[in-house]
Amino acid sequence: CTKDITSLNENPKAPATVPATALFTQGQNTLASNLSSANVYLNIFRLIEQQWQETTYITESNYNIKDNKIPDGIWTAFYRDVLEPFEQAKANFASSPTLAAGTKKNSIAIADIMQVYSYYYLLTTFGNIPYTDALNIDNKFPKYDDAATVYNALLTRLDADIANLDEAEGSLDNADQVYGGDVASWRKFANTFKLKMGITMADVDNAKAKSVVEAAVAAGVFTSNADNANFKFATNPPNTNPVWVDLVQSGRLDFVAGKTFVDALTTSADPRIGLYFTKDAAGGYSGGKIGTKNSYDAFSKPSVALTAPNFPGLLLDYSETEFNLAEAVERGYNVGGTAATHYNNAITASILYWGGTQAAATAYIATPSVAYATATGDYKQKIGYQKWLALYNRGWDAWVENRRLDYPKLPAPANPVSDFPVRFNYPVSEQNVNTVNYNDAAAKIGGDEVTSKLFFDKN
Amino acid sequence: QNINVTGKVTAKDDGLPIIGASVGVKGTTTGTQTKTDGTFSLSVPSGGVLTVSYIGYAPQEVTVTGPSLNIVLVPSAKQLGEVVVTGALGLTRTRNQQAYAAQQVSGDEVSKTRSSNFVEGLSGKVSGLEIRQNNGLGSSTNVVIRGAKSIFNSNQALFVVDGVPFNNGSPSGSTINSSDQRTGRGGYDYGSPIQDINPDNIESVTVLKGAAASALYGSQGANGVILITTKKARKGLGVVVNTGVSVGAIDKSTFAKYQKEYGGGYGPGYEDPSGYFWYRDVNGDGQPDLVTPLTEDASYGAAFDPNLKVYQWNAFYKGLSTYGQATPWVAAANDPSTFFQKAVSNNQSIFITSGGDNGSFKLGYTRNNDSGILPNSNILKNSINFSGSHNITNKLTAAASIDYTRTDGLGRYGTGYQAENVVGNFRQWWQVNTDIKQQKEAYYNSLAQGENGNATWNLSNFNDPTAIYWNNPYFARYQNYESDSRNRYFGNVSLNYKATDWLNILGRVTVDNWNQLQDERRAVGTTGVSSYSRRNTGWNETDFDLIASVNKNLGNDFNLKAVAGTNIRKQRYQDLYAITNGGLVVPGIYALSNSLNTPDAPTEADQRRQVNGVYAGATLTYKNTYTLDGTLRRDVSSTLPKGGNAYYYPAVSAGFVFSELMKDQDWLSYGKLRANYAEVGNDAPIFSTIDTYTLGTPINGAPQAIINATKNNPNLKPERTTSSEFGAELSFFNGRLGFDGTYYVNKTVDQIIPVTISAATGYSAAYLNSGTVQNKGIELTLNGSPVRSKDFSWKIDLNFTRNRSKVLELFKDASGQQAQNLQIGSFQGGVTINASLGQPLGTIRGTDFVYLNGQRVVGDDGYYLQTSTANNVIGNSNPKWIGGINNTFRYKNLTLSFLIDIRKGGSVFSLDTYYGFDTGLYPETAGLNDLGNPSRLPISKGGGVIVKGVKEDGTPNTTRVENTGSGLYGYETNPNAAFVYDAGYVKLRQALISYSFPQSVVSKLGPVKGIDLSLIGRNLWIIHKNLPYADPEESLSSGNLQGYQSGAYPTVRTVALNAKFTF
Repeated sequence: CTKDITSLNENPKAPATVPATALFTQGQNTLASNLSSANVYLNIFRLIEQQWQETTYITESNYNIKDNKIPDGIWTAFYRDVLEPFEQAKANFASSPTLAAGTKKNSIAIADIMQVYSYYYLLTTFGNIPYTDALNIDNKFPKYDDAATVYNALLTRLDADIANLDEAEGSLDNADQVYGGDVASWRKFANTFKLKMGITMADVDNAKAKSVVEAAVAAGVFTSNADNANFKFATNPPNTNPVWVDLVQSGRLDFVAGKTFVDALTTSADPRIGLYFTKDAAGGYSGGKIGTKNSYDAFSKPSVALTAPNFPGLLLDYSETEFNLAEAVERGYNVGGTAATHYNNAITASILYWGGTQAAATAYIATPSVAYATATGDYKQKIGYQKWLALYNRGWDAWVENRRLDYPKLPAPANPVSDFPVRFNYPVSEQNVNTVNYNDAAAKIGGDEVTSKLFFDKN
Repeated sequence: QNINVTGKVTAKDDGLPIIGASVGVKGTTTGTQTKTDGTFSLSVPSGGVLTVSYIGYAPQEVTVTGPSLNIVLVPSAKQLGEVVVTGALGLTRTRNQQAYAAQQVSGDEVSKTRSSNFVEGLSGKVSGLEIRQNNGLGSSTNVVIRGAKSIFNSNQALFVVDGVPFNNGSPSGSTINSSDQRTGRGGYDYGSPIQDINPDNIESVTVLKGAAASALYGSQGANGVILITTKKARKGLGVVVNTGVSVGAIDKSTFAKYQKEYGGGYGPGYEDPSGYFWYRDVNGDGQPDLVTPLTEDASYGAAFDPNLKVYQWNAFYKGLSTYGQATPWVAAANDPSTFFQKAVSNNQSIFITSGGDNGSFKLGYTRNNDSGILPNSNILKNSINFSGSHNITNKLTAAASIDYTRTDGLGRYGTGYQAENVVGNFRQWWQVNTDIKQQKEAYYNSLAQGENGNATWNLSNFNDPTAIYWNNPYFARYQNYESDSRNRYFGNVSLNYKATDWLNILGRVTVDNWNQLQDERRAVGTTGVSSYSRRNTGWNETDFDLIASVNKNLGNDFNLKAVAGTNIRKQRYQDLYAITNGGLVVPGIYALSNSLNTPDAPTEADQRRQVNGVYAGATLTYKNTYTLDGTLRRDVSSTLPKGGNAYYYPAVSAGFVFSELMKDQDWLSYGKLRANYAEVGNDAPIFSTIDTYTLGTPINGAPQAIINATKNNPNLKPERTTSSEFGAELSFFNGRLGFDGTYYVNKTVDQIIPVTISAATGYSAAYLNSGTVQNKGIELTLNGSPVRSKDFSWKIDLNFTRNRSKVLELFKDASGQQAQNLQIGSFQGGVTINASLGQPLGTIRGTDFVYLNGQRVVGDDGYYLQTSTANNVIGNSNPKWIGGINNTFRYKNLTLSFLIDIRKGGSVFSLDTYYGFDTGLYPETAGLNDLGNPSRLPISKGGGVIVKGVKEDGTPNTTRVENTGSGLYGYETNPNAAFVYDAGYVKLRQALISYSFPQSVVSKLGPVKGIDLSLIGRNLWIIHKNLPYADPEESLSSGNLQGYQSGAYPTVRTVALNAKFTF
């Protein structure tokens, strides 16, 4: 008998090849989930930014990121579960014998934009990370690259992607759960994100930041909430917004509003308070004390809207774009308009996004503590403070902006295990399985500590 | 003139009947064998001579003088070398011809413990064999011979029943438990399928320890082999009936003890003026009332005070006598140790055998019904064994056997970190003011009220009785339970052709088939999401064997035993798993259709493997003294890449029975030296050469594909183990003192491992040929008979095993960079189990204390400093050595034996103390401080604790820290190393008293030929251990991830009574 028995080793229940679009969708879904998640093994930035506070299990509110191996969670969730699917999607698009050339080019460019976007969060979380060696299974010990260098490389990639987009050609269609494959929207998204990247690096390389920002704005950025990049989570599990899974479906009572954040909203009679949170037992709004145990019963909770299973995952929005433009004006970049106008547009966009009215927004921005002319501090403080309020539910971005703009100054939690984390430790798994490169990377930043400042965080 | 003679053959040394002695009429072919009681009957010519012989005894000739005879055989150590030993493939060799380490345990030894899991009966009895039992009902047993060799693949011994492999788990043979279960993320321990073997059907167990002994089995035998020979029919009719009952209760030294000073809460900071209680208007009088912080699963609350009245959980369920009432704030009268109930088992078996000149048959039935220490737990096992053989001609024998075992499990214990593990709840997250008896009452009361039964102590709020983190433990047991059933068929048909007196040819087809259904339920009202899931698993292995064997004397001095054969092995594992999505619609209906949202597609697995093997071997013996043995097998496996999937296993052994040359030395009864070398190979896990994707549930109509986390490898080579062994067997003073010692070195190279790699590669792991693990060890057995007389004897057996493993190499990349560490398992708490370069296989890594001159350093804040990295080696799961001491005393018909089982060293990480010390459940977390004040008082009132250690400058720590709330003793402020314990133990594993009714009594009972009564104790006493509140042997599951406990079940002390009747 000469039958080749090794054919038994072909799995009859799992395909060896899949459509590139299925990989793209999976990557996009995971990316949106990572950024939306409230899972204490992955995304604790709402707590770090004191928008929320824990009730009984308060370790993360006190900056403990080790017990739940959060860095490991982030590392895997981005490299393996987001970047690699996009990488393979790009390769499969490229090698597809049936796909039209234009569709191919657009699809690859969009997947690449998603990768650039993903790397941004890794860079601003850890600093130096594997990049040139990353996503290469033949290299089991990827070395770490300098964060600023990678950042510049990403900008170059983004420009190339923008150049490759062609509105006249086919695209991803329904595989893209953000824009349905609309190429014009992706062009706008890419330029808006380019603007964001430019602003993020403004403190370290002002000249480059200026040219990046001006080019992006000239090419066209978001002009209304209609441009927002919303990932469409499903109404029924399993593809729902993870916040619903963590807060509602689990039946757990882990989170209440954070005192710091609620107090800030209350002080200025922010119209978003009832859109962000539920009322507390006393019929008002209150937040749990930061870093201590809190009764779930006593405090305001995240609002019903944002805990819905199909609450969209916001990847990039008009409000932050206007804040970035306001800052660009203050920095003397040629982007048009005044800082105050952009600032007002940003706040108004945020209020409208959350379901507030134009009238409420108008009244709010007229409040002396809010109005650009009269609010406290320099532009960094004014913009930083309002951006923090607007980046509610987007803790990861709030954390980046909070470190960069140094405002607001968040009070220390009750029992912090460290100073305010300005980066995350590298994962335990890197210590165990990529030891030499890990040690090298840790040495380069003066030790793998949460207090080592990252490349974009000057002061 | 023939007369009917009946007789009995007994041994001179111990007076016991000899079973299976040959009795023949001299000068004729007439003959028989003695039965299990030593008796025989035979028709003999008057004045004829009987020859009586048995291995190990001097043969005797007896002249028939009357109708009844009593024959006493005298032991002859000179005969020891002729004892026939079963080896690989069921081939027999005499002891003189055996040049490798093997140890035999009789079936009686195994079955007399009356445990439904026969493997437990081997613990402590065989050197080189490490058995770790888990305490759950029907849970899995870890069986490793000569240490773990493989970093990733199974290290479990291969079980072979009557010559054919018996599956003990998934295709990797390791376990049927899920990976989540093995890494402590929850799930049930579904046991080891080897438990399907009926202990009463076992004639003997032989442990083949080294590769040379097992190389003929191919890759399956790489981890050593446990050969099981089932009972065979003897001439005449034999009937054996066993009936027994056992009762078990927990060993309290292996369960949590609770502090009785402080109730529920995480410390001050709640609502009332004291800060320890909620302050809410419960009775509607407009005034706030004291309420237990109901959501808080810890015991760092207010100090108990019987005069303080508090609305506790039992005030919030209608129908309870305490409903709507504040009750005294006191420690519970019934702590969780009262949750456990008596484990009760009963066991009945009957075996009927019949043998004649033309064939024989055996029919057996066993029923085993075990209920566990947790409510609503039961495993019922029914086994039927049938075998028959028929001599078609003098030369041709046809035989067939079928074993059927059905196991029905109900309410197996939840394991690891999940709500279904009530013991994890009791050990880690609990309010010590919660009374278990009241929880029971509340559960039944809730059902009586027409509610869902989950009247938990851990309510979401006083006006919202939904369980938040923990269910009522009775609800957890009675409503969130699993059930399972497994049908197993194991059988073969064979034809044996004895071509000549020296050549035998056997053809055989064996089928091992089981299918299992697992149903898991989470009732409406549970914490988390209610659900129903079912898993159907099927296993089939079919083996085709053709074996030719030769046994021929070549001249007067040489004997040749040879074998050649072929084996085709086909395995198929199928699995289908489906679960409801998002909850159940109708309470109490456990059907996939009762799903709130459309269920995702079931996950499916269909894995096949085929291995084609050919082998040959020869044993050449010169003058019964010098033996040279060689075997060679070639396997072709379907799991390795085409063209590179054939591999060889050569083995060569040499033996020298020097006592044959020293026959004049009376003190030396037996002496043999042996040496061997073998290489064995192993194929790859199924589907590890080709990458595939998992298809996910589409989102809004868009399909999704998930990349598998492990990168496969189309270039895998077989992994190889080389093994060398040197040993000596000695026996002195007419066999009264015996010694067997072995030194071995095993090296496993090119290990096939899904190596954990940096996730920056895009994968969590990649299959690689990577890593060399060396195991070196010593095995010793010593047996002696200090007293040996007709009425009284004392036998003592000692065994000792010392294995040292070391990871010699890990993989290198193309640039030569070498991995320093392979992560084998990652656990809650940031602890990992690893293969670290230069370290034993199975190091425990995590955060450690910072040390200064050997002292723990305390920081300025008064808490221990911790390493910033979590890759410090903080333990090693391997024992330094293991051993067993078995003593047997016999006085006339009364036998007393006891077995002490020892494990020295090794470590275990306890997630139970990691959390439980944090949440203040244990006495260590309360009590008085160095000032004589309650440590839980604020420092300002004389409380607080100064942790032991030195400051960074080396002077003793003097900083007092608060102990008013959770954290001081547990995970929040201590490194992982604080929860690593010595896993050594000394256990009285087994004690047995048995009494055989004397023949004078039994003979009056008609057909009854023997009655044996036994009283058996198992796990009676842990004489010594260092792990507090738990059994150091307990682990999550069998498999390679040992050294981690989470929600560990207590040891069950069992006493069994059994009666055995022989007809």
